Amino acid sequence: MSSLDLEIQLLAVVVAVACALPGVFLVLRRLALMSDAISHSILLGIVLAFFWVQDLAHPILVLAATATGVLTVALVEALHRTRRVKEDAAIALVFPALFSMAVLLIARYAGNVHLDVDAVLLGEIAFSPFRRLEVAGRDLGPRSLWLMGSILALNVAALAVFWKELKVSTFDAGLAAAMGFSPAVIHYGFMGLVSVTAVGAFDAVGSILVVALMIAPPAAAWLLTDRLPVMVVLSGLLAALSAVAGFWAARALDASIAGSMAGMAGVVFVIAILFAPDRGVVAGIRRRARQRLEFARTMLMVHLLNHEGGARARVENRMDHLQEHLRWSPDFARRVVRRAERQGLLVRESGGGLRLTPLGREEARHRMVR
Amino acid sequence: MSDGGLFHALLFDYTLRTVALGAGALGAVAGALGCFAVLRRQSLLGDAISHAALPGIGLAFLLTGSRATPVLVLGAALAGWVGTLFVLGIVKHSRIPEDSALGIILSVFFGIGLVILTFVQRRPTAAQAGLETFLFGQAATLMERDVLLIVGVGAVALLLLALFWKEFKLLTFDREFGGTLGFPMVRIDILLTTLLVVGIVLGLQTVGVVLMSALVVAPAAAARQWTNSLSVMVVLAGVLGGVAGVTGALVSATGGGVPTGPTIVLMASAIVVVSLLVAPRRGLASEVVRRFRVRRRVRADVVLSDLYALAAQHGESGEHAHSVAVLRTMHGGQAGTRRSLGVLAERGWAREVEPDRWAITLEGMERARTLFLPGSEEGGPKAHDAGEAAPRTGSGAAEMRPGGAP
Amino acid sequence: MTEAEPGTLPPAIEVNDLTVAYGEQPVLWDIDLTIRQGALTAIVGPNGAGKTTLIKAILELVPRAAGRVEVLGHPYREARGEVAYVPQRGSMDWDFPTSVLDLVLMGTYGRLGWIRRPGRRERKEAMEALEKVGMEAFADRQISQLSGGQQQRVFLARALVQEARIHLMDEPFQGVDARTEKAIVEVLRELRARGDTVVCVHHALQTVREYFDEVALLNVRMIAAGPVDQAFTEENLRLAYGGRVPFLQGVTGFHHDEAGAPAGPRGTGFRPTGGGP
Repeated sequence: MSSLDLEIQLLAVVVAVACALPGVFLVLRRLALMSDAISHSILLGIVLAFFWVQDLAHPILVLAATATGVLTVALVEALHRTRRVKEDAAIALVFPALFSMAVLLIARYAGNVHLDVDAVLLGEIAFSPFRRLEVAGRDLGPRSLWLMGSILALNVAALAVFWKELKVSTFDAGLAAAMGFSPAVIHYGFMGLVSVTAVGAFDAVGSILVVALMIAPPAAAWLLTDRLPVMVVLSGLLAALSAVAGFWAARALDASIAGSMAGMAGVVFVIAILFAPDRGVVAGIRRRARQRLEFARTMLMVHLLNHEGGARARVENRMDHLQEHLRWSPDFARRVVRRAERQGLLVRESGGGLRLTPLGREEARHRMVR
Repeated sequence: MSDGGLFHALLFDYTLRTVALGAGALGAVAGALGCFAVLRRQSLLGDAISHAALPGIGLAFLLTGSRATPVLVLGAALAGWVGTLFVLGIVKHSRIPEDSALGIILSVFFGIGLVILTFVQRRPTAAQAGLETFLFGQAATLMERDVLLIVGVGAVALLLLALFWKEFKLLTFDREFGGTLGFPMVRIDILLTTLLVVGIVLGLQTVGVVLMSALVVAPAAAARQWTNSLSVMVVLAGVLGGVAGVTGALVSATGGGVPTGPTIVLMASAIVVVSLLVAPRRGLASEVVRRFRVRRRVRADVVLSDLYALAAQHGESGEHAHSVAVLRTMHGGQAGTRRSLGVLAERGWAREVEPDRWAITLEGMERARTLFLPGSEEGGPKAHDAGEAAPRTGSGAAEMRPGGAP
Repeated sequence: MTEAEPGTLPPAIEVNDLTVAYGEQPVLWDIDLTIRQGALTAIVGPNGAGKTTLIKAILELVPRAAGRVEVLGHPYREARGEVAYVPQRGSMDWDFPTSVLDLVLMGTYGRLGWIRRPGRRERKEAMEALEKVGMEAFADRQISQLSGGQQQRVFLARALVQEARIHLMDEPFQGVDARTEKAIVEVLRELRARGDTVVCVHHALQTVREYFDEVALLNVRMIAAGPVDQAFTEENLRLAYGGRVPFLQGVTGFHHDEAGAPAGPRGTGFRPTGGGP
C-alpha cells in the first residue's frame, strides 16, 4: 500500500466519520432529506463565492456555502409555512432550483476552471492528495485532510458541548423549550453544522453521495442499538468501515471511489437491516415463528375464560370448535392444546371439552389486562 | 438569442423542433402524473426513483452493449421500481422512518450507478458510451425515435391515467374507504406507482437523473395554486410542464451546450414562484390583500363599538359627537383611528358632525348590535328583535359591550 | 322496529372470537359481538380500547389474527355492498382539490365498479343525500372550506349514497357543533326508521342513553353488550374504564335522572359538560 493510498483512505475515513456524527441526529430528527437539499444547494454558494474571489481554495467559499445551506433550510420552512405546499414538496421545489442555477453558472461561465459538473457529482477524493498544504516550504499533507479534519473536530466538539441540548430537543422538543433551550436556535445551529460538514465533504465525494454517508451509517446503527451514545460511536465505526471497504472495491473495479463508498454504506445498511440481532428482518421472522405458538396458547386461554360458565360454553370450549372459530388447522390446534396442557393451564375433559385450571384462569386474566 | 430568433428557429430548424416536441411531451406527462405524487406526499419518492434509475441505465448498457434509448429506459425503469420497493420494504420492516429510507436509497443507488458508469468508461471497449448525459440531461441528443418513444409511451400512460381516474382519485384521497368499496387498493397503488416510474424514466435522457424529480413536482405544485379541482389541476400541470419543457429545452439547445435539466427546472421553478405569488385565492398576493382588508374591518369595528359604547353610556340619542382623541385613547392610543372612522363613514355607520368630532349613525347602532350580541350570527331575526327593543339608554347597551371592545 | 319479531332476522353483524394484534401486541382479545338489525349501536370504551380497530377489523382494513365476521348471515366479502363506512374526519387531507359534491359521489364508486364514471343519476342521488344532511348549498364548495361539523355531514352524505343497509361510523360526533350533532342524530333515526343498522364508535358517555338503542362496552376484550338499559350500567362502565370513574357519575342515568326514566329525545346532558341537574 503506497502512502498515496494511505492518504486517500485516511481522508475517506475522516470524511465518512465527520458526516456520520451529525447524521445520527438527522435520522432521529426526521431531517434526512434536508441533508439532500443542503448538499445540493451549497453548490450555489460555492459558485457565487468563486466568481467573487476567483480562487477555489479561498476560505470564503466555505462560509458562503454554509450560509447557502442554512438559507435552504429557511427557504424550505418558509415555503412550507405558507401552507400552499406540503413539506416534502417544499424540499423538492427549493433545492433543484438552487442547484440548477449553480450548474448552469458552472457550465456557462466556469467550464474551464477547476470546477466542473462531473466533480460536483463524483467528488475528487482520488486527486485530493495532490493538493498539499505547505507552510514555510514544509509539506504538511493534503489540504483537504486538514479541512475535513478540522470539520470532524468541530463536529466532535459541538456534539460534546451541546450533547444535552441536542438530545433533549430531539426526543422532546416541548421539554427542551420548557428547559429554556430555544428549539429554533438549536435547529438552525445544527443545520449550520450539517452545512459545514456537507461543504467539506462535497469536495471529496460530491453532492449526492454526502447524503449516503450522512444517513446510511446512522440508520444502520439505529437498528443495532437503542442507546444514543452507542449509536453515535457505532455510526462512526460503520462509516469508517464503509469508507475503507469502498476504497478497496473501487480499486478492484477501477471505478469511482466516492460512488463505491456510498455503495458500501448501502451494503452495511442492508446487512444491518437483515441480520441485526434484535430488530433485523431475520431475527423478526424467527421470533414470530417462536411467538406464534405462544400467542396462540394465550389466545386459547382468553377464549376459554371468556366463554367459561356462559350459555355457549359447551359449544365454544371444545377441541373441534377451535378449528372452526379460531381458524386453526387440526394439527396446530392439537399442538397448542398439548402445550397448554403440559404447562398445567387446562385439562381435557372426556368428550372433547376444554376446561381452564385455576392457574390457566390466572394466566388468561393477567394477559388480558396487559 | 432573442425571442424572435428562437421562434424562427423553432419553425424552420428540424432538430430544434424535434427537441421541443420531445421535451414538451415529457413535461406534459411528468406534470400530469406528478399531481398524484404531490397530493400523496410522495414528492421525494420521485427523487429517489430517478436517482435509483442510474445503475439500471449502466447495467442495461453493460449487459446488452446497446445505447438504444428503449433498452436504457427499460433498465432505468426496472432499477427505479426496485428502488421504490426497497423504500417501502425498509419502512415496513424496520424502525427506519421514510425520509431516511428515501435518502439511503437515492444516494446509495446513485453511488452504485456512478461506480458502474466509471467502470464502463474506463473499459477500452466502451468507446465513450456517452452515459454521462443521463446525469444532467441533454435535449440536443434527442433523436426522432427518442421523441416517438416519449410521445408513444407518454400517451399510453396518460390514457391509463384517464381510464383509471376514479380509482386513482380514490387511492389518493381516501385509500381505506376505497378498500371498503371492494377495490383492490394495493393493485391500484402498484399501477399508479408504475406510471410514475415510467413518467420519470422517460425524462432521464432529456432532464437527467439528478433533476428529473423537479419536473414531476414543480408543475403540480404550481397548478394546485390555480384551482380546487383535481381534473383541472392535472390538465393545467400537464400544460405548465409542457411549457417548462419546451422553453427549457430550447434555451439549452440554442445556448451553447448547457445541460438541459437545469434550464427546464429553472423554467418550472419560475412558474411555481409566479403561481405562488399571483394565483387568485390561494396566491400569496391575494392573501396579503385579504389580510389587509380584514384588519381594516376589524379596526373599524373596534372604533364602531367604542362609539356605540359612548353613545350608550351617555344615554344620548347617538347623535352626540365625540372627539377623535377620546376614541383613540379608548383603544390604547392605537394609530389609524381616523382611517377607521373614514371606513365607517363610507358605509354610513358614522359621520363627522363637526371637524374631528364623530357620532354613530342609526345604521351604525344597528350594525354594532348585530356584531356584539351573542348568538347574533345564527339567530338573525331574534337578534334583530332584540335590537329594536333594546333601550338606547344606558344599562342595557352597556351590558352588551364586553363581547366586542378591547 | 315493529315489522319483525326479534329472532327472525339474522343479525346485521356477527363477530366471533375476533382477535387482532399489531405486531406482537394484541389490541383486541377474542371479541364476540352480535349487532342487531335495525338498531343504533354505540361502541364505547376508553382510549386505546380498540374501538376503531374493531370497526376496521370488521371491514378487513386490518388483518385478523383469528375470528370470523358475518354480515347479514354472509361472510363480509360477499356482503360488502351492504356496509357503508364513515371514517374519522381527522384522518383525511382536507386540502385535497375536490368539491363537496365530488366527495359525496365517491360513495357511488363501489356500485359503478371499474372505470365507469358517475353520471347524471349518481349526481342526483348525491344532491339528495346532501339535502338530507342540510348541505346542498355547499355542493360546489372546496372541501377545505368546510367547518368540522360540515365535513362530518358531508361524510355522512357519502355514506348515504352508498345505499347500504349497515353503516359503520367512527366517531361521527367528534368535534362537531351542536347543530350538526342534532342533524346527524336526526339522520341516524331516519335510517333506523327505514330498518337500517348503525354502529358508531362513540365517546360522549352522556349521550349514549339518549341516542342509542344498544351499546357495546369494549376495553381490549368485550366487557358487555346489549340493550342500553341492560348493558350500560355503572358496574360495566367501571369494568371498562378501570378505576378512573368519578367523571362517569350519573351518565348511566340510573341513579341521577328523575324517576329513573331513560332520558327523552330532548333531554338534558346534551353537552359533554352538562352531566345532569
